[in-house]
Amino acid sequence: MTSLKPLIECQDLTFRYPGEEKFILKDLTCTINEGEFLAIIGGNGSGKSTLCKAFNGLIPHFYVGDYTGKVTLDGVCTTTTDVATLSQSIGYVYQDFQNQLLRPTALEDACFMPLNYGLDDYKERGLWALEVTGLLDVKNEFIWRLSGGQQHLLALAGAIAMRPKLLVIDEPIAQLDPHHAEQIYEVLKKLHTDYGMTIVVIEHHTDFIAEYCSHVMLLDKGQVLWKKETVAALNCVEELLERNIFPPQVTQIAHSLQLKQPYPVTLKQSIQTFKASPWKQQATVHHIPQHTKPMVQLNNIELAYNQRLENNKLVLQNISLELSTHEHIALVGNNGAGKSTLLKVIAGIVRPTSGELYIQEQLIARAMPEKLAQDMGFIFQNPEEMFIEDSVRKEISFYLKSRKVNDYETYVDELLETFELVDLQDQDARLLSGGQQRRVSLAIGAAMRPKILLLDEPTANLDIATKQHVLNMLLELKKYVQTIVIATHDMELVAEWSSRVVVLSNGCILADDTSERIFQNHGIMAAGHIKAPQVVQLTTALSLPYCSSVSQFIAGYLQQVERGVHVGMG
Amino acid sequence: MFTLEWVKKLEDRLSLEYIKQELLRTAFSTEKSFFTQLDPRILLAWYGYFAIVPWFIYEHVTLVGYLLFMVILTVIARVSPLILTVLAVGLAGEILLLGFIALLFGGDLSIVAPMFWLSIKLAVISLASVTVFSSINPEKFSDALLRLGAPAQFSFSVAYAYRILPTLLEEFQQIILSYRLRGLAPSKNGVLYFRKIYYYITMLIKSFYPLILNSAKRSRTTVEALEIKGFSYAAKDKRVLKMKTNYLQTSQMDWLFLLLTVCYVVIVHSLQLIL
Repeated sequence: MTSLKPLIECQDLTFRYPGEEKFILKDLTCTINEGEFLAIIGGNGSGKSTLCKAFNGLIPHFYVGDYTGKVTLDGVCTTTTDVATLSQSIGYVYQDFQNQLLRPTALEDACFMPLNYGLDDYKERGLWALEVTGLLDVKNEFIWRLSGGQQHLLALAGAIAMRPKLLVIDEPIAQLDPHHAEQIYEVLKKLHTDYGMTIVVIEHHTDFIAEYCSHVMLLDKGQVLWKKETVAALNCVEELLERNIFPPQVTQIAHSLQLKQPYPVTLKQSIQTFKASPWKQQATVHHIPQHTKPMVQLNNIELAYNQRLENNKLVLQNISLELSTHEHIALVGNNGAGKSTLLKVIAGIVRPTSGELYIQEQLIARAMPEKLAQDMGFIFQNPEEMFIEDSVRKEISFYLKSRKVNDYETYVDELLETFELVDLQDQDARLLSGGQQRRVSLAIGAAMRPKILLLDEPTANLDIATKQHVLNMLLELKKYVQTIVIATHDMELVAEWSSRVVVLSNGCILADDTSERIFQNHGIMAAGHIKAPQVVQLTTALSLPYCSSVSQFIAGYLQQVERGVHVGMG
Repeated sequence: MFTLEWVKKLEDRLSLEYIKQELLRTAFSTEKSFFTQLDPRILLAWYGYFAIVPWFIYEHVTLVGYLLFMVILTVIARVSPLILTVLAVGLAGEILLLGFIALLFGGDLSIVAPMFWLSIKLAVISLASVTVFSSINPEKFSDALLRLGAPAQFSFSVAYAYRILPTLLEEFQQIILSYRLRGLAPSKNGVLYFRKIYYYITMLIKSFYPLILNSAKRSRTTVEALEIKGFSYAAKDKRVLKMKTNYLQTSQMDWLFLLLTVCYVVIVHSLQLIL
């Protein structure tokens, strides 16, 4: 690159939302140049989304607060130009992208923006956007019939139809399985290299940053701490960890082992780094729990959806499973594989077309959800959908109160304590942050004192630090609950938490084994669209004994060093 | 045990999912019928006549003629049985209620005849509404309004209301589920299922509070998205309006349909004179 042309320039930008005391952005100065693929990182409340909303003038035009400083977009000052005009050169994809889809069908939504600006070729532009995002096949489909992943791609298509110079995406992959996440990033990469768009992502997943981004900007307390090239940025391990941002697992490992800098940031680099290591130990065999009395038994479950609508496809077929006490089962598979549906069948919310469901050896034919709830808790993917009262405390007590449990208040107090909700107990749960909402939903589950607990994506949409917190909470839940089933895309959660993994693909069970064995079976991983965590991939690539977490890897490594084995690092 | 079986069967058929699917099918006119191919402006004009004129018709022959016409059209438009059932129950309920009130205040059975004819009127108008609105898809409806001179904001809010409908229904379903998964249903049905019905109705009412809060939260993003997608920009531009609604074109079929209607109406009215 010869001369850098700035696309965004922020000068001493200071902003405070109305009614708040703290400034969310403080004297922030930064430049984003044309041609960059920039990741903005920072802890919760560091001002990432706020900053991005200042790029297209939503701040200060839509959020009137205390605003000083100057932002220019492609040479145009954002305070003196209106949002609609600015938006022609900047595309924006929200974190809650579903609410950004405004038209009934895919093509209409993709064309909406060029049509509004009166471009004659609006249809071609819409079609082009659908083609780039791979949605041409569903162009006439109603939005509410698209899967979550497709909806996200459509939100992206709608934002790029104007071929803006700059594209901003707020947490593009928070709700996606690894396969679809990669798909989104591949589209972004194409837009960046083939169409010359400048791309800004707000991202927690540092492994994706390492793979795709050219630059990283770290925000802290409303200021830009630094902006560096990706490798240099991810090498600032301590600075990142201080702010609860976790570098890629391989980088963490290299840092903990105090290897020579620069640390590797991608799996490929790390394999180079660790290649010479002579580990010869046999793989440790995971403890496979004894199958005791089955809590849940599914026999040949089949489910056809949308009997009335056109596609009468089977969502689940031939599902036979036995879930026992003290098992921690992870249901994995790509978006649309049938994970959530299977959970709903187990919970008795969805009645299978054929097959039998036994709960504690009792045949469940057409039980009311209220009755099944005696033994079973279900925690939805979106915590907001669980909130039916106007305070956290009432949410948690609802089940106990409706069943007139003696002395339930004490138990609620205990739960508030466990899930660190004491200070929040009188607030409306809908107004809490994502991580807090998740904690409330877990507490609701625990309050039901179920024997079986079903969780749908408990770590989706959380930043990594909050995720760790939720993971601890899940361990906490083991005290209360006998069998836990989690449907998840989060392979780090699978590796660290589960005792058994069931892989679903197109509504069938593809595999049922320990995470260790599943992560080492490439055939299953490819067919199920799953991807082992980086640390597992690293150990596999180096033929090392299986490690499910960074700490396990490091412990194993140090053990080797203690034994005096020479470890030659590149 | 006969009633129990019957209720179970009804429960199977009347699941929340079924209602949702039927409503969506109606709102989005996903199935093709004769009416979906007509120009929405023509349909709206047609509807303008049948929504207003029947109120001022008192001749029995004409009313029956109108009703017959509507019934035939309803069949052609393939209106969802759910909607028709709701309509029928509504009409019957109204007759009963009004009759009851009349009796209460000292009327006698002579009230039945005028009540009957009022209901026929209502039936004509309701069937016309159902036929038209289950045949125009939301896009066409809002574009037709736009073309007929309604403000952009108004026509868009119509289209958006349709767009948000499935989301709201889904959300509603989830919230009900949350209640059921944590609540306690009455263990006994009570007289005439009274306890159960009471339980369900209170649940439905309570569900509206979370539903409204959740949708209020969503709308923030939607409003912003409208702005960054240049909606207000388009609202000022007449040229864009033209581009948006260019596809609305009347065909021979439209005029044929209007002609048929006019002929039929004329025949019915002259029948009245002859008889």
